[in-house]
Amino acid sequence: MTKTSVCRGTLTVQLKSRRRSFRALGGDQGRGFRILGGDQGRGFRILGGDQGRGFRIWVEIRGGPSWFRVEFDCGVSGQDAEILVDYRPLEDSVDPSNMLCAGKDSSSVVQWSQCPPAGGSRNCRDGPEPEPQSSETEWDLVNAATYRRRGGSAMSRSQDRSRWAFSAAVGDLRSVTVKDEGWTFLILQLKEPSTSCSTSCSTSSTLPPLHFHQGGSREFLDSLRRFALLSESAEDEACLLVSTPNRALSQSFENLLDDNNYSLVHKFRRDPYVTTLGSFSKVTNYILEALRGAEEAQQRPPEEVADLLGDIIPGLEINQQEEPGFEVITRVDLGVRPPVSRAAPLSPEDWRRHRDAEGSMVDTQRLRHAVFKGGLCHAVRKEAWKFLLGFYPWSSTLEERKSLHRAKTDEYFRMKLQWKSVSEEQERRNSRLRDYRSLIEKDVNRTDRTNRFYEGLDNPGLVLLHDVLMTYCMYDFDLGYVQGMSDLLSPILYVMESEVDAFWCFVSFMDQMHQNFEEQMQGMKTQLIQLSTLLRLLDLSFWNYLEAQDSGYLYFCFRWLLIRFKRELSFQDVLRLWEVLWTGLPCQNFHLLVCCSILDSEKQKIMEEKYGFNEILKHINELSMKLDIEEILQKAEGIYEQIRSCKVLGLLRSRNGAASTRPAQAERPPPPARPRRSGRLHPPGPGGAAASTRPAQAERPPPP
Amino acid sequence: MTTKTSLLKVILLGDGGVGKSSIMNRYVTNKFDAHLFHTIGVEFLNKDLEVDGHQVTLQIWDTAGQERFRSLRTPFYRGSDCCLLTFSVDDNQSFLNLGNWKKEFIYYADVKEPEKFPFVVLGNKLDVTERQVSSEEAQQWCQENGDYPYYETSAKDATNVAVAFEEAVRRVLAMDERTDHLIPTDTVKLHRKPRSATTCCS
Ligand SMILES: Nc1nc2c(ncn2[C@@H]2O[C@H](COP(=O)(O)OP(=O)(O)O)[C@@H](O)[C@H]2O)c(=O)[nH]1
Ligand SMILES: [Mg+2]
Repeated sequence: MTKTSVCRGTLTVQLKSRRRSFRALGGDQGRGFRILGGDQGRGFRILGGDQGRGFRIWVEIRGGPSWFRVEFDCGVSGQDAEILVDYRPLEDSVDPSNMLCAGKDSSSVVQWSQCPPAGGSRNCRDGPEPEPQSSETEWDLVNAATYRRRGGSAMSRSQDRSRWAFSAAVGDLRSVTVKDEGWTFLILQLKEPSTSCSTSCSTSSTLPPLHFHQGGSREFLDSLRRFALLSESAEDEACLLVSTPNRALSQSFENLLDDNNYSLVHKFRRDPYVTTLGSFSKVTNYILEALRGAEEAQQRPPEEVADLLGDIIPGLEINQQEEPGFEVITRVDLGVRPPVSRAAPLSPEDWRRHRDAEGSMVDTQRLRHAVFKGGLCHAVRKEAWKFLLGFYPWSSTLEERKSLHRAKTDEYFRMKLQWKSVSEEQERRNSRLRDYRSLIEKDVNRTDRTNRFYEGLDNPGLVLLHDVLMTYCMYDFDLGYVQGMSDLLSPILYVMESEVDAFWCFVSFMDQMHQNFEEQMQGMKTQLIQLSTLLRLLDLSFWNYLEAQDSGYLYFCFRWLLIRFKRELSFQDVLRLWEVLWTGLPCQNFHLLVCCSILDSEKQKIMEEKYGFNEILKHINELSMKLDIEEILQKAEGIYEQIRSCKVLGLLRSRNGAASTRPAQAERPPPPARPRRSGRLHPPGPGGAAASTRPAQAERPPPP
Repeated sequence: MTTKTSLLKVILLGDGGVGKSSIMNRYVTNKFDAHLFHTIGVEFLNKDLEVDGHQVTLQIWDTAGQERFRSLRTPFYRGSDCCLLTFSVDDNQSFLNLGNWKKEFIYYADVKEPEKFPFVVLGNKLDVTERQVSSEEAQQWCQENGDYPYYETSAKDATNVAVAFEEAVRRVLAMDERTDHLIPTDTVKLHRKPRSATTCCS
């Protein structure tokens, strides 16, 4: 029997974690906790049987995409409610189904385990259908993106995790350098390595930097002072030299931190991934954390990160060495954003100049660059878009295009006839076709209805939009029609003014966008993760802010990404943006830099006004139709230039092997070779990475 | 009773095209935009109102109805105080799907006591002459599924829209009052005590 009681008072549940990602979520701030049945700030509800003996309460904590439930019993008395719950993993494993919840006095422990939500039955055919087994409950949309997990077992994962730890004796410390970048981070330098060292190893040893994003560096130094003398170095006041008067006093870090203030421990669990970025960039180990730091993303192997950054920035080559004796990069210095100017749209004359006697397009590199810089005059679009989208090959002659067009026209009408000739009887027995048709009809009525091409009741544009979408269903019946596709077609049809041309250009565009619309929306998941990584690289403080508002996954960019800003910009600006993006310049996934550009402009407002989860969503939604495309493109290109020319401030060399001796390290398989990507536009740039990198210490400003 | 403004989260659910966004816009901006786009992603609007002396800010959430976008919309169900199940009186299928929407909501909103959760049912597009769902059918469904209040609305000509939202607020407030009676004392001290091996109290 269950009875609901409302309790007035304060329930403080503190959860301390070695892993930041296990901070508890809930309540209306999205931080703190979720007490089941909590009524949003008007007290809280405790579920459970009273029986005169007390209450049992449930607290849910988010771990990865799931919620985990902690229950414990509480007594009742007449005073303020206060309860302190600590928890720590049973072992240094993140298997959240295996955790201990310990009371303040540690006299009692509560084991808690994953409790899958109870589900309804699924016996309905149409419409929405809850899936009890689904892992989609939370923002699994993002969380579950393509991580290639190596070894799925909890065992192997916990071994992976251990690699992130390191420990070193205080007596082996040479110095601690205190850096400040809005948050404090410490760089611990070891004394000359005493043991033999592989050839790739540097002369001094630095441990992976400790980033104290949430503060705590002072406490850390204080606890260090208990065991060692810290004195400012003569050359660099940010550098504290460590001396241990009595070697016997030296203690391992792990002990140092583990005893009472273990909340610091997680800050030691740094990224072991050693990443060397070639050609023009070095990326910090905490960028990798962008993928790993948040919940589930922790399982992301380094080669994926490499893929990802390589995607965004072609020419960026990332090599991973997993051996001890590697480089760890502390951060990228983006430098100032260079000014970027945009050009006038390409005129019909300019376009014609790139056409030879046969009608083939020549010097297309320059041509595409011109389109990237200024877009197209409207008069050129009808022809140019067919090339940009790949319906026509650049090298094709006029004759070839004519015959291609003939063939494609036939093909189109053949497919169109397929749905046109379906009888009512047939359609009655074809629920998928019926559903597609019904969705298309509804959405055609709700797409760009203020545009002259689609306005009014009997506008032929509406029929074309409908027919092309229906024919696309025949072309790709598995995908069929998904909401958002009418938005992608509408501008193309508007420009082409031809059913057949619009269809094939749409097919090309859908080739790029297909993944966004697939059953699992993989394209959306991937892009949101990529964007999050990129944002973290570009603007950590903003990223941290969003993260603190539970918005680090950037779900509020969903509409931007699903339909390429179609709803955010005026119709004319959409045309401009799309043709610029279709050039594929200056890098793959330039649209993600467009996102960064917009976010950069909104950052100040969001942070100053202290927007939370809901307000951020609302603010971003309401940017629609208020954005200026040229400004956005300018900034996006500036950001691209910034990334391209970024230098590394802090290049640190580390021998992680000296620290961790856990078996997993030795047993890790070598990372699989990264598959070559086709269609990459730029070969890796020249120039050795090593040449452009310098040690960090010399250039850093002293901390305030 | 209280002068404090409380924030209530209500969510509109139902098949695509039944008029959820139109209802929300009608209620909050008192406009009907026949050119409205179909919803992509998740949106919400706030509206302040007073019901029976209570100051309330309604936060109305609107989502995209297509099956494909379920994983996007469902995370926003949590914390809802009320759910407006919406169908269109000229679309029988949308009426048949009400049960599925209810199920989806209960599952993802993680409602502890679904029998007690305040749902309100809206049959929209009352202004349309070709009805596929009769009032009686709809009433009956509401009765059988938990005695939900039922309103026939028209976002187009504003019929019953405000009334329906106000009823939603009343239901939520009534829920709160009921639970308020259960308050044993004003302050409750919670002591940790070892958890017993059995999970349920006898
Ligand atoms: N006649 C009529 N049409 C409506 C009404 N409400 C919405 N509509 C139309 O129905 C279509 C779908 O409405 P929308 O609000 O987009 O539905 P949603 O998908 O549930 O958000 C649009 O074309 C609206 O103009 C109504 O009360 N009466
Ligand atoms: Mg809508």
